[in-house]
Amino acid sequence: MSDPYFLSILIFSPLVGMIVLAFMPKDVKAPLRTVGFLATLLPLILALIAFVRFNADMGELQFVTSVPWIEIGDPEVTNSSLYIYYALGVDGLSLLLILLTTIITALAAAASVKIQKEIKGYYLLFLLLEVGMLGVFASQNLLLFFVFFEMTLVPTYFLIAKWGYREREKAANMFLIYNGLGSAVMLIAFIVLFTQTGTMNIEKLQAIDFSRLPSTVPLAHSAFRYGLLFALIVAFAVKLPIFPLHSWMLRVHAEAPVPTVMIHSGILLKIGAYGLIRFCMGFFPEAFADFAYGLAILGLINLLYGAFIAFRQSDFKLVLAYSSVSHMGIVLLGLAALNTAGIQGAVFQVISHGMISAMLFFMVGVFYERTHTTELRNISGLAKSMPRTSGLLLAAGLASLGLPGMSGFISEFMAFLGLFERLPVLAAIGTLGIIVTAVYVLRAVMKITFGKTKEEHQSVADLRLVELLPAAVMIGVIILIGVYPAVLADSLHLAIDSVLVGIGG
Amino acid sequence: MVDYAWLVPLFPLLSFVILLFFGQRWRSGAAYTGVILTFLSFVVAVTVLIDQIGGSTAAVTFDWLRIGDTVLSMGFAVQPLNALMLALVAFVSFLVQLYSKGYMAEDPRIGIFFAYLGLFTFSMLALVISPNLLQFYIFWELVGVCSFLLIGFYYYKEEAKAAAKKAFIVTRIGDVALFIGMILLFWQAGSFAFADIFEAVEAGNIAPGMVTLTAILIFVGAVGKSGQFPLHTWLPDAMEGPTPVSALIHAATMVAAGVYLVALMYPLYLASSAAMLTVAIVGGFTAIFAASIGLVQRDVKRVLAYSTVSQLGYMMLALGVGGYVAGVFHLMTHAFFKALLFLAAGSVIHAVNTQDIEKMGGLWKKLRFTGPLFLAGALAISGFPLLSGFFSKDEIFVATLGAGRWILFAIALIAAFFTAFYMFRLFFLIFQGEARHEEKDVYESPGSMLVPMIVLGVCAVLGGYVNTAWFGTFLADWFGSSTNSLGIDESGGSPGVTIIATVVVLGGIYLAWLIYGKRAISREWLSGRVPWVHKVLYRKYYVDEGYHHTIVWFTSGFSRFLGFFDRFFVNGLVELSAVLVRAVGGMVRRLQSGQVQTYGTVVLIGFVVVILIMAVTGGYFQ
Repeated sequence: MSDPYFLSILIFSPLVGMIVLAFMPKDVKAPLRTVGFLATLLPLILALIAFVRFNADMGELQFVTSVPWIEIGDPEVTNSSLYIYYALGVDGLSLLLILLTTIITALAAAASVKIQKEIKGYYLLFLLLEVGMLGVFASQNLLLFFVFFEMTLVPTYFLIAKWGYREREKAANMFLIYNGLGSAVMLIAFIVLFTQTGTMNIEKLQAIDFSRLPSTVPLAHSAFRYGLLFALIVAFAVKLPIFPLHSWMLRVHAEAPVPTVMIHSGILLKIGAYGLIRFCMGFFPEAFADFAYGLAILGLINLLYGAFIAFRQSDFKLVLAYSSVSHMGIVLLGLAALNTAGIQGAVFQVISHGMISAMLFFMVGVFYERTHTTELRNISGLAKSMPRTSGLLLAAGLASLGLPGMSGFISEFMAFLGLFERLPVLAAIGTLGIIVTAVYVLRAVMKITFGKTKEEHQSVADLRLVELLPAAVMIGVIILIGVYPAVLADSLHLAIDSVLVGIGG
Repeated sequence: MVDYAWLVPLFPLLSFVILLFFGQRWRSGAAYTGVILTFLSFVVAVTVLIDQIGGSTAAVTFDWLRIGDTVLSMGFAVQPLNALMLALVAFVSFLVQLYSKGYMAEDPRIGIFFAYLGLFTFSMLALVISPNLLQFYIFWELVGVCSFLLIGFYYYKEEAKAAAKKAFIVTRIGDVALFIGMILLFWQAGSFAFADIFEAVEAGNIAPGMVTLTAILIFVGAVGKSGQFPLHTWLPDAMEGPTPVSALIHAATMVAAGVYLVALMYPLYLASSAAMLTVAIVGGFTAIFAASIGLVQRDVKRVLAYSTVSQLGYMMLALGVGGYVAGVFHLMTHAFFKALLFLAAGSVIHAVNTQDIEKMGGLWKKLRFTGPLFLAGALAISGFPLLSGFFSKDEIFVATLGAGRWILFAIALIAAFFTAFYMFRLFFLIFQGEARHEEKDVYESPGSMLVPMIVLGVCAVLGGYVNTAWFGTFLADWFGSSTNSLGIDESGGSPGVTIIATVVVLGGIYLAWLIYGKRAISREWLSGRVPWVHKVLYRKYYVDEGYHHTIVWFTSGFSRFLGFFDRFFVNGLVELSAVLVRAVGGMVRRLQSGQVQTYGTVVLIGFVVVILIMAVTGGYFQ
């Protein structure tokens, strides 16, 4: 695609809404909400256009932009100067994550109608967050990636700290500390890469075989590469999150406002997976392969640890939070398989879990608005007064436990298919997670919808149209991917091939 | 017509989609939608069956998902076994939906009920025509979820909720084994397609150990779905669902899917005698185990449920001893008479509003149609001469004996005795004797309920004649004609076995008559003498309790332990580091006091230290 401005327009398109919002008075709630929601449709439409125009059979990056951005060093003194480029471009993986981002952001904006205070500031931060997320997935330069990455942290911090539930400030601080530390480690690793190779271009870095560098460069030594890869894994492990770095994420899930959690668990966590694939696997394929067994173990721990704990949680939001920990374990297992099926499964899981957890948290918002609680012991039998909501919650729950015909099954299936080829014993242990997932999902979902209806919830209202539409879109996408997975797989296969070339699989 | 077999599942899917969106508003309209669309499906299925008997087969696939160089496909296939299943499932589903029109007429959620039935019928039919293991697995899970939804149909009842959850989780344990087996086979054969897998097995490309392992893993999946020991516990509890559901899903079709799976994968089992033996032993044990529990239960549907478990055990036993035709034959006849029995039981429950057989009695005169139909079903399942169950069970006995499995043969005979006994215990307690029910006005069910029962009654009586040693082994010939790789070697009848089996069955019926009909023997004769036997049977050998105190207890405890670990250890470390950071911060903050004197002192000390260092090391100028 030879359209150098397209991606920039896409990434910064939320700014249009921000500008309009900036000129609106603070106290007109309904118009602010409308504008805030409409503003997310623009990037969504652009992302859909990109998806349609994307050539799935072309191996190179598409919609590429590359402009010199920062010049380091004085050419008159050192005879050569280093440039950092403003470089954008997408392959299938980036494109799908951009599409996911725009879809979930639009749905989260629709869910934001329940936000009551300081709507203007809320939507401004919300849209800024979208710019950051889109930039993260489109960046082809490490520094640019880092800038966008940081750009997601700040609005998220304020969204949690200001619009969250009771212990919102503590949760926001924890979010910032963990993610700040993670990104500090990431920055160090990036700078080391830059100083040793002289480039921050992601594609170029992927093409370099570090072991062939002159032996004066530390990167040529495998021990150094292990160290650097380890640093990168830690940086993204915080984000995914990988056990034992997950505590912050539970708080965010429990305390952040519902639309923020939709985005957080739907997209922000996925930056961790994206980083693992793009940087850890992409830059250090051989070292990554050596780490694969350890990653598989960590994935197994995530999967089972999250699932077993989710089983005993009394707060529905925490059930979902631990469920995210568990489901991200499948991403790790898929990546550790080091084959097409596994990696494709991991990517599918990223997208599928994004949709499913966004939907589940959306439903949490619907229930919370009516019952003012997410404690499982305080709710039961809502299928009577809210049949549609309950049906959709059940559908989302079934998707989450990997029912065939929905996206969760496809990703689990492929991840395990891949893992069974390489590490059959670990994979067999991992299938235990499939059972435990069914146990905790059904326990929580059936607690809410089945059984006797509580006195005070006899006459709560069912879904309104503004709630029904986003939920229908989400379940629709989940089923579409489940029934016709080629819709994603076709744009992905070249991106996965290029990752695998390095591993030699 | 075989090329249009894909139409068969399509009609029920259409019914599901329509009713999902409009079902709540319609009432009898929803029932008609379901019944008519399923009827269309049945008509197509019959034409497919006829066409297939004429020799046509079909295998159509299309690309579904690309994983690297591997292309997974979906599609449909028609061969004798699944043509038969296709017609059978559509037939029973149509009859049960017709019956439900009357049975569920008063229920405000009849629309969603028929939507679920549509989804189930679609999934079951699609499962049957799957050409590969992956597609089979997908629909296998979908029928499971429909079963879950329908067991929990009365969502406000705690028992229904617990039963639905249990059904889902227990069958999922089996499903995971099937999942593993399926993936292992894929890496061995390079494909999920049945044809490719069998080719690899027959060519000897898969190591014998792997054949046995995958065959047993797949069998565990079948054990879960077909309620075989030790994963049988969900099936009796599943009776919390509406009775038509019990007839359709938990008797005639879905629970038979496990048997169907083993039959479908038969070339794999034939390649491993260890796997065959496992199937036979589990089946035989389940047959007698469940039948013995059925002897003492008081809930009519539970007795029928244990009977289903037991009969499914017979089918597994047949397959395990090499009686492919016998197993499939019994699957078919069982679908007729067990669906009939459940529908008849539903008609009784509908009339007296209780499921407790101790509160029934004397209904023979009041339910002029239901009574004789129940009797026909009871005779058929017991194996009364010349009825359908007689022929199919007879073949299982012959096959077991033919394989030289004397112990299993004896077990099967005793189980047959139990079967005859508990069925007629039911019959006498429900229809004979004095009325013990509280309901004053007992009426026969409406026509929409009776017609399906009558049709099934005819099938239950005559269905056995498709395969008899006396009139012709049409079924075996048909299966044998398409393929000779199934090891079909029906030795035909064996008069000795037939006579022994008949004597056993008549003995069971006679004993039931003595105790519950004529009351010549006191009911407490045995339970009074050895009360613990009755108690153990009534409590179903304490299997549920056993699971509760082991697996459930462990899972629960382990998850509680991990919860504490996460809260106090992992999170504790986080809190600790936060405290440390704050403490360090506090110390540093004290330095930032704003007092110039302190700063000056520090600067001076620093200066002195720097000079000292320079003096010691020789300094900058060296």
